[in-house]
Amino acid sequence: MTPSPPTRRDLFRWGAAAGGTVALGALLSACSTGPGSTAVTSGAADLSFWTHDDGYVKFFTEALPTADAATKYQYALDITKIAAADIPTKLIAQAVANTGTPDVVGLEIGAFARTLRGDIAKELLVDLSPSIADYKDDLIGARLTPFSKEGKLYALDSDTPLCVYYYRPDQFKKLGIPDDLATWEEYEAAFAKLNPSKGVSMHAVATNDPGGAVQSYQIMLLQRGGDLWDVDGNLTIETPEAEETLAFIAKGVQSGAIATVADMYGPSLQSGLKSSSIVGVDMPSWYASYGIKPNVPEQKGTWKVRKLPVFAGGGRTTSVGGGTGFAAIRNKPLSQAGVDLVLSTYLNADQQVKRYRDLGYLPTLRSVFDDPRLSAISDPYFDGQRLFGVYKDVIDDVPSQHQSADTAILQTVLSGYLLQAYKGQLTAKQALSAAADDFRGQARA
Amino acid sequence: MSTSTATGVPVAASPESKTRRRKLNTSGGRAPYLFIAPFYVLYGLFMIVPVLAAVYLSLTEWVGLGSPRFIGVTNYVNLVQDTSFGTALVNSLIYTLIAVFIVVPCSLLVAQALNAKGLKARDLFRVAFFIPMVLSPIVIALIYSLIFDTDYGLLNSALKALFGLPNTDWLGDPTLAKLAIGFVLLWRTVGYLTIFFLAALQAVSPEQYEAASLDGAGPIRKFFSVTLPEIRPVTSFVVVTSFISAAQLFDEPYLLTKGGPGEATLSVAMFIYRAAFERQQFGYAAAAGVVLFVIVFGVSQILNRALAIGRTS
Repeated sequence: MTPSPPTRRDLFRWGAAAGGTVALGALLSACSTGPGSTAVTSGAADLSFWTHDDGYVKFFTEALPTADAATKYQYALDITKIAAADIPTKLIAQAVANTGTPDVVGLEIGAFARTLRGDIAKELLVDLSPSIADYKDDLIGARLTPFSKEGKLYALDSDTPLCVYYYRPDQFKKLGIPDDLATWEEYEAAFAKLNPSKGVSMHAVATNDPGGAVQSYQIMLLQRGGDLWDVDGNLTIETPEAEETLAFIAKGVQSGAIATVADMYGPSLQSGLKSSSIVGVDMPSWYASYGIKPNVPEQKGTWKVRKLPVFAGGGRTTSVGGGTGFAAIRNKPLSQAGVDLVLSTYLNADQQVKRYRDLGYLPTLRSVFDDPRLSAISDPYFDGQRLFGVYKDVIDDVPSQHQSADTAILQTVLSGYLLQAYKGQLTAKQALSAAADDFRGQARA
Repeated sequence: MSTSTATGVPVAASPESKTRRRKLNTSGGRAPYLFIAPFYVLYGLFMIVPVLAAVYLSLTEWVGLGSPRFIGVTNYVNLVQDTSFGTALVNSLIYTLIAVFIVVPCSLLVAQALNAKGLKARDLFRVAFFIPMVLSPIVIALIYSLIFDTDYGLLNSALKALFGLPNTDWLGDPTLAKLAIGFVLLWRTVGYLTIFFLAALQAVSPEQYEAASLDGAGPIRKFFSVTLPEIRPVTSFVVVTSFISAAQLFDEPYLLTKGGPGEATLSVAMFIYRAAFERQQFGYAAAAGVVLFVIVFGVSQILNRALAIGRTS
C-alpha cells in the first residue's frame, strides 16, 4: 500500500505537537529561577539600572564617584527607563526568562505592592535588613514599613513624602478666610459658606483614577490616625477613623469646600488651579515639583506651604503619600554591588541633602532634617519661603503606611464606593462596609 | 494499481514506472505543504502553543514567578462567583451591542452620505472621518477627559452656557460613563468601518438603481431593496469584526476611566489585564481569557452561520 502524502491536518498536528512540547517544556523549566553565578566582590561593576524617573537617573549618575569612594567597586550604569507600573511586569518576565533582569531597580510604592504577592519579593529582591542595621535608629521607621514584608526590608525609600498644605495666601486674603485656622473642620465650614457665591474650594480629591481616588482618601485617613491595612496586611477600613474621614470628605465635596478632579496631575486640576477656584492642595512634599509648579508656573510667588490643619477628632499633624524604593536583585553576580550602590548613595547625609536640592525628595535619615544646609534653602516659587521649617516641624509625627499584596484589589473596589459616598448615595459607613465586602469577595480569587 | 489507455482499457503498469510515478507523486504532493509549512510552524508556536499554555495556566495558581500550582477548575469556579467578572461580562456585552447596533449602522449611513452623487469635498470628508482611527488612543483619552470633565470640561461648559444646565458627572456616573465610552468608541471606529461600506456601495451596479427607479422605488425603498442586499457580505464581515473587537475592548475604558467609577466600565479584557498585571493572578487571568475566547469564538461562529459569511447566495 502506498503511503499517502501528509494532509494539511497532519502537518498541523505534527507542528502543534512538536511546538507545544518544546514551548511548554521551555516555559515550565523557566518558571524556576536558576542558581546564582559567582559573585563579584570588587572592581568594575557595570550595573543594569531600571527606573521610571529621570530625576533618579541624574541623581545616581552624579552619585557614582561617591559610591566608588565608599565601596570596593568602580561603578557604571546601564540605564533603562520604564513606566513605573510596568517595572514589576518586566522584572518578573525577565526573571521567568532567567535573563535580562536589572541589578538595581526603582519600585514606585504602588508597584512594589505587587511584589508582596506570594514569594515574589523573597525570590527576586535582596533582603536589605542586615545591611541597614547600623542605620536603623536614624532611618525614619515609617518609611521602612511600606517596603517590608515579614520583617525583611526589600527596598530603600528615596523620600519621606510627608504631606503639607499648599495654599494661595493672596486668595485666602481676598476671600477673607484666615490662612492659619487650626482644624480641617474650620476650613470646611468657611469654604462651604463661600462656595455657592464664589465657587472656591479649599482643596481637591481625585475621583476618576482608582489609584488617585484612594490616595486622596488615604492621605487624610493616615492623618486622622487610620490606615487601609494593618501591619499584617489585613484590611482596616471598617474603623471609626476611616468612617469619620470619609464622612468629612463627603461633606466637603457636597458643600463644595472640596473640589473633585479627575486626577491630581491632569487637565481638570490644572484648570482649577489656573482659575483660582482651587486655592489649596493637601499633598506630599514631592507634589510641589510634580503637581503645582508644572501646572501653574505663572503663579510663582503666590503659593505658600503650611503644616496640615488637624482633625478636630484627633490624629496627626501630617500624613504621607507615594514613595519609590530602590532594590537590588538577588542571585546575580553584581547583587552585592547593587546593594552597596544603594546604601552608599542613600545612607549618606550629603547625598540626602543633594537629593532634596535636586529632586525635592526629603531625607530618610532623621538626623539630616537638622542639617543647616537644608534649613537655609528658600524656594522662590513659594515666595522665598524656607520649606524645611515646615517639614522639620512635623517629621516626628509622620505616620507609618502599610501595604498589602491586595492593594490593587482594594483600589478598584474602594474607589467606586468613595465616589458614591461623596455623592451622598451611601453613608460613609455603608460605603466602607460595602467596599470591605466586595474586597473580601475579590481577594478570595 | 492500473492505468488506462486512450481507449479506456486498463493496462498493468510496469514496476519501474510505478516507482517513478510514486516518487513524482510523493515529491509533488509534499512540495506545497513544505512551502506553507513555515506559516503553520509559526502559527503553531505563536498561536496554538500559547492557547494551550493559557488553558493549562488557567488550571493553576501562579503569581508569575516560581512554579504554577495545579488547582483544577478552582479558577473557573471563582470566576463564576466573582461579581467583578460578572460586571465585566455585562459591560463587554453593552460595548458589543453599541458596536453592532449603533456603530455599524452609523458607519453605513456615513458611507451612504459620502457616496452621494454630487457631494463636494468628498475626499476631505473621508479623511475627516478616518482621522480618529489613526489617532493614538492616549491622545483621544486626553481630549475626551478634557471634554467630559465634570467641573472644568468643555461639554459641561457648553451645556451650561447654552441651556443653563448644571454640571454632569459624565465619567463619574456609572451609566453615563458607559455611554461616554460608547460614544468614544463610535467616534473612533465609525470612519474606519465607513471605508468598508463605501467600497461595497461603490461596487453596487448602477443599473439596479435605475431598474428600481423605473419600478417606482424611492430612495428609502432603493436603500432597503437594492443597497442592503447587495452589500450584505460586507455588512456581515463588518458586524462580525466589530463584535470581536468590541468584545475585547480595552483602550477606551482603560485610558478614559480605568474601568471606573468602581467597576462600572470594566471590560473583560481589562479584567484579564488587571488580574495578570496588577494583581499577579496569572492563573485567574488565564481562566478569564479562556472564557472570553470561548464566548467570542462561539458567538462569532453563530454569527458566521446566521449571516452566511463566505457562502454565495
